[in-house]
Amino acid sequence: MLLAILVSNSAGNILLERFNGIPSEERLHWRTFMVKLGADNLKGARNEELFVASQKSVYIVYTVLGGVCIYIVGKDDYDELALTEVMFVITSSIKDACGKSPSERLFLDKYGKICLCLDEIVWQGILENTEKERIKRLIGLKPPNPTES
Amino acid sequence: MAQPLVKKDDDRDDEADYSPFLGIEKGAVLQEARVFNDPQLDPRRCSQVITKLLYLLNQGETFTKVEATEVFFAVTKLFQSKDIGLRRMVYVMIKELSPSADEVIIVTSSLMKDMTSKTDMYRANAIRVLCRITDGTLLTQIERYLKQAIVDKNPVVASAALVSGIHLLQTNPEIVKRWSNEVQEAVQSRAALVQFHALALLHQIRQNDRLAVNKLVSSLTKGSVRSPLAQCLLIRYTSQVIRESANTQAGDRPFYDFLEGCLRHKAEMVIFEAARAITELNGVTSRELTPAITVLQLFLSSSKPVLRFAAVRTLNKVAMTHPMAVTNCNIDMESLISDQNRSIATLAITTLLKTGNESSVDRLMKQITNFMSDIADEFKIVVVEAIRSLCLKFPLKHRSLMNFLSNILREEGGFEYKKAIVDSIVILIRDIPEAKETGLLHLCEFIEDCEFTYLSTQILHFLGIEGPKTSDPNKYIRYIYNRVHLENATVRAAAVSTLAKFGAMVDTLKPRIFVLLRRCLFDNDDEVRDRATLYLNTLGGDGTVVQTSDDVKEFLFGSLDIPLVNLENSLKNYEPSEESFDINSVPREVKTKPLAEKKAPGKKPTGLGAPPAGPPSTVDAYEKLLSSIPEFANFGKLFKSSAPAELTEAETEYAVNVVKHIFDGHVVFQYNCTNTIPEQLLENVTVIVDASEAEEFAEVASKPLRSLPYDSPGQTFVAFEKPEGIPAVGKFSNMLRFIVKEVDPSTGEAEDDGVEDEYQLEELEVVAADYMLKVGVSNFRNAWESMGADCERVDEYGLGPRESLAEAVNAVIDLLGMQPCEGTEVVPNNSRSHTCLLSGVYIGNIKVLVRLQFGLDGPKDVAMKLAVRSEDEAVSDAIHEIVASG
Repeated sequence: MLLAILVSNSAGNILLERFNGIPSEERLHWRTFMVKLGADNLKGARNEELFVASQKSVYIVYTVLGGVCIYIVGKDDYDELALTEVMFVITSSIKDACGKSPSERLFLDKYGKICLCLDEIVWQGILENTEKERIKRLIGLKPPNPTES
Repeated sequence: MAQPLVKKDDDRDDEADYSPFLGIEKGAVLQEARVFNDPQLDPRRCSQVITKLLYLLNQGETFTKVEATEVFFAVTKLFQSKDIGLRRMVYVMIKELSPSADEVIIVTSSLMKDMTSKTDMYRANAIRVLCRITDGTLLTQIERYLKQAIVDKNPVVASAALVSGIHLLQTNPEIVKRWSNEVQEAVQSRAALVQFHALALLHQIRQNDRLAVNKLVSSLTKGSVRSPLAQCLLIRYTSQVIRESANTQAGDRPFYDFLEGCLRHKAEMVIFEAARAITELNGVTSRELTPAITVLQLFLSSSKPVLRFAAVRTLNKVAMTHPMAVTNCNIDMESLISDQNRSIATLAITTLLKTGNESSVDRLMKQITNFMSDIADEFKIVVVEAIRSLCLKFPLKHRSLMNFLSNILREEGGFEYKKAIVDSIVILIRDIPEAKETGLLHLCEFIEDCEFTYLSTQILHFLGIEGPKTSDPNKYIRYIYNRVHLENATVRAAAVSTLAKFGAMVDTLKPRIFVLLRRCLFDNDDEVRDRATLYLNTLGGDGTVVQTSDDVKEFLFGSLDIPLVNLENSLKNYEPSEESFDINSVPREVKTKPLAEKKAPGKKPTGLGAPPAGPPSTVDAYEKLLSSIPEFANFGKLFKSSAPAELTEAETEYAVNVVKHIFDGHVVFQYNCTNTIPEQLLENVTVIVDASEAEEFAEVASKPLRSLPYDSPGQTFVAFEKPEGIPAVGKFSNMLRFIVKEVDPSTGEAEDDGVEDEYQLEELEVVAADYMLKVGVSNFRNAWESMGADCERVDEYGLGPRESLAEAVNAVIDLLGMQPCEGTEVVPNNSRSHTCLLSGVYIGNIKVLVRLQFGLDGPKDVAMKLAVRSEDEAVSDAIHEIVASG
């Protein structure tokens, strides 16, 4: 299960959060935990450099993309390697939606489109789509290219 | 007209300070949402408003029921628009709002229309939305379309239906299970993602059918799996099959070749999954491990941090069971100590601590000292625990390791970290006699400057136990007495008790201790004064060198071998009367989790967050429940309640489990029943018990359950009489009998007439272990010696060929139903002999201690020596009888 996807700006303000199977009273803990993780480790990190951590039975993969920080939390089947895969899809789709690595402003400008991308990638905690070309077409309600299967 | 939200001009994105959502407010956005009701829809503007709503929701904002309903109804109007971009937004919005059951009906027809549309993308999205908001009744209506969609030639539609299936399996398993033919077909799909989703769903549908999973794995491991993700799933299922087949024969393991082949896959994800699966095989041999360790070693020097992390995490686990297999990677891991990612560095350090040999300890400690200063407390705790294990492994190195612990104890750190260090020092003092005196002095120095009351009191307590037994108890007094001057009341009170212990145990110190205790009589805290008064009046001798009597020592410092929770509950239940409170009436059994708690929804642990509250007392709850039933009220005191045992298989119509309540002269079976069929109401539910294979038992009472509606569990009871105080055993067969009434799912009302029906349950047994309470002792050796050899019985047994030593140990523990002590239930891998210590209380409140010595006799034959000590020789004999007849 993919427990959470969080996007924050570099100052740690949440821009977007999607939780799956985490009770609302626990969400604040997660938010604080991840923002702290980012503050401790992401300063000076290269663009799209992946960071990884584990906390009890969950795994966290996080990175910097332009002016935003992205955190993904998973457990069971979604271990650090599966999360890396998910992270790759998310970063490439966001770059695709924004045309480049986004600043915070650009990310917010393309917010609607990014929400659609995430909706195609993760569905209630389960990974659904993994290719950015396909996602790009799906968010415009276009069928995937017949050449790819 | 509002300002367009999306700015076309990307040059302006440098103005990062300005947010398009600046000053956004829920109320205003909800007002804006009224544009959805316009007769002339403006798709662009509507999309912008939806984006704003999504932004609010994604920021953790919540809508009230009224707000959500209003937005939902407005959004449904947007189905009129043919704008594709807007339609896509509408789908997301409905999912985010997750409307309630009575509202769903508004969009059902629009979504059904989209679901049968010729446009593939409408179909896929409508399926996802419908499955998100649907309930059981609607699902049966759309089931036909979903089955078609699973085998749709468009992979997006097929995936949408399959992922829906995965979600729906949680809520409507019986419907989704009917799709297995279609899902089976989808597993063969040429589209990689369809195959991945189909495989996941098919496995979930069949996970309880071992044969089917075996077949699935066999066919797929021979064929081709298209995506790395699906390949990873297959590897996981394969290791499950290997685990369950429990192959004990020598020779090649089934599917091992497949796993080994995956080590050469082109995707790193697959290679890693296979390597991990191999390392986790039961009883894996070094020959099987080698290729997996080799690929993991390569990952250690990967440029990708995730791969390094994954590899070192797996090697860390392997090091626990096969440290020798990992030593080849030591050089690579040493270089990871300086890894920027502190998680990787900590894992590397702790792995090295496990695999290192005695000669490398000093070098390693030097590296760790530099490393400790720049990691967070949570990592430091892991390192401290690893050092503790290392010290227990190489006791000769205790000096340098203890020094290390005491040095880090003096540095800055939070409570958990300090506690971990103190715990480690305490364990080392207990287990390594040579480390005792230096360890105690380290602790004494720590409390001189300790900011945590809890730790100070724990250490003072520990000093009171260990200090008097040292060669020079005198030297600790100063440290302890200083606490009486310098600390808060809690610590002062603990210090007074510790002083008194020294006085009681070391006669020569007593006069001087009395002087110190008398000074405490003037403390400004009443607890401190009370303790001092108590000790001065009971230790005896009025400050002269005399021995304190054993009774007084037991009274003052003896262990209260009753769980405190039980004592608290019994005291709360005690009503003031002529009869004084009897401490022997307090149940001694350690609590187990009650069934209701286990089945509670939202059981998935999420790692962070507050720890779950302690389980409420089951024994107490059972006792209350049973004493409230008049038929059982005169059975006397409840001796033991067993853990619930399932009498039905998983996912059957009726789920029944049984709890056995043992009284001195009676046994009560409590059947916990759950009706899992929404369309049925059960009434007058009883269990008909056939006790023909339990000769010493006679049924005396039965309490039926009046009504058992869907998904709300209820209990029915059957009571038997048995010879008093005798551990009678027997087998009971059970039949559930009830009147079943049809329920109209739309109204929830049951029909008036019902039909009598029966349902066969599994057998249950009352066994010897039911007459034994699991009660642990904190120090087995002391308990064993103080019990004495008067009622000891020793004998040897051949247990015949066994799968492993561990399996034999567990079988005997289960047979006796006793509490394993000091972690002796764990058998180290590859050991040829093992000693296991058990303790318990037998019916009649007789304490029993058991020492089991196992040895391998030949390749698989296990021999066992059983020594029993108890307060009654008849009980010692009874334990031997249990083993002899087991």
